[in-house]
Amino acid sequence: MTRIFTVALSLLVAAPASAQDFSEGSEANSWNLYAEVPARFEATVVDPLCVLAGECADDCGDGRRQLALLRTADDVLVLPLKNNQPAFTGATNELQPFCGQDVEVDGLMIDDPDIGATNIYLVQRIRSVGAEEWVTANKWTRDWAEANPDAGGQGPWFRRDPRVLAEIEAEGWLGLGPDAEREFLLDWLPE
Amino acid sequence: MTRMGFVVSAALGIAASTALGAEGERVQVTGEVIDTWCYFSGVMGPPIAVVGSAHHTCALWCSAGGIPVGLLAEDGTVYMVLRLAGDDRSNGGDTQLHIASHTVTADAMLYERDGLNYLVVAEVTADQDIINQTHEDFGVVPGFAIPDDARPTE
Repeated sequence: MTRIFTVALSLLVAAPASAQDFSEGSEANSWNLYAEVPARFEATVVDPLCVLAGECADDCGDGRRQLALLRTADDVLVLPLKNNQPAFTGATNELQPFCGQDVEVDGLMIDDPDIGATNIYLVQRIRSVGAEEWVTANKWTRDWAEANPDAGGQGPWFRRDPRVLAEIEAEGWLGLGPDAEREFLLDWLPE
Repeated sequence: MTRMGFVVSAALGIAASTALGAEGERVQVTGEVIDTWCYFSGVMGPPIAVVGSAHHTCALWCSAGGIPVGLLAEDGTVYMVLRLAGDDRSNGGDTQLHIASHTVTADAMLYERDGLNYLVVAEVTADQDIINQTHEDFGVVPGFAIPDDARPTE
């Protein structure tokens, strides 16, 4: 009976996710963000559209869908928004090779409940549970380069991405239309 | 039921409800399609500066870059978008890119899980385009979003 009571108590104690600290052992680099908290934990890589809505697809959507981390310690669904590149790049490409697998991740939680930031994450490195080597979460730009071999010009991907350039050409830098923003650009940009 | 039995049942009940997740609820949400990373992280400035026209170019970059888009409702609630109408390409898809910074109304299923609100949008029932003209107060955020050589000829 004592053992049953201990198990029951541990489940009750584990329920409030916010009370847990996952910073132990983290080697995450700071991004100097207001609400960042280092976090290293084990999780299963899941398709949240499948977990939440029952809309499942082969191989977690094969890279089309956002992916999430179902944390092993407390069953909390963590949504990674960002990979480890300071380049406006998300986390799905980094997690997709681990679809359905149990992994260990290291990175930064963003915890700012006042604006709704709860259980969101920046993943810096990832490995399968039991693996020795970590994989740095920085493959997004390589994936983009492979998918866009004909992207011309110079500079980072976001200056050369055909879809982004097409949107800006059609709708302008502010999204208000090239004619509507002309006076602003003349004032904003140096002669 | 004994007191001990109640404790065990309660504990197992909590575990079961967590594993199953929340039930979905059909909702109509009106809000701006935002870049959730810049909004939540503060990396480019305060939340009020990383929405609307001031942040539109950066919102395009982040959407194309696979950062999840959200709907920011008037009451400040952020809804993470998992599917947009018939398009499940929430990782950088064209549908979400076309409506970056737009204020839209969505007919959707809402799933609440672990403090986040997730939307599965069945239909965008209204699209007001970009109405949040934040460039009038903040200029361009980040400042480098528009390169100097984009200056129109006078």
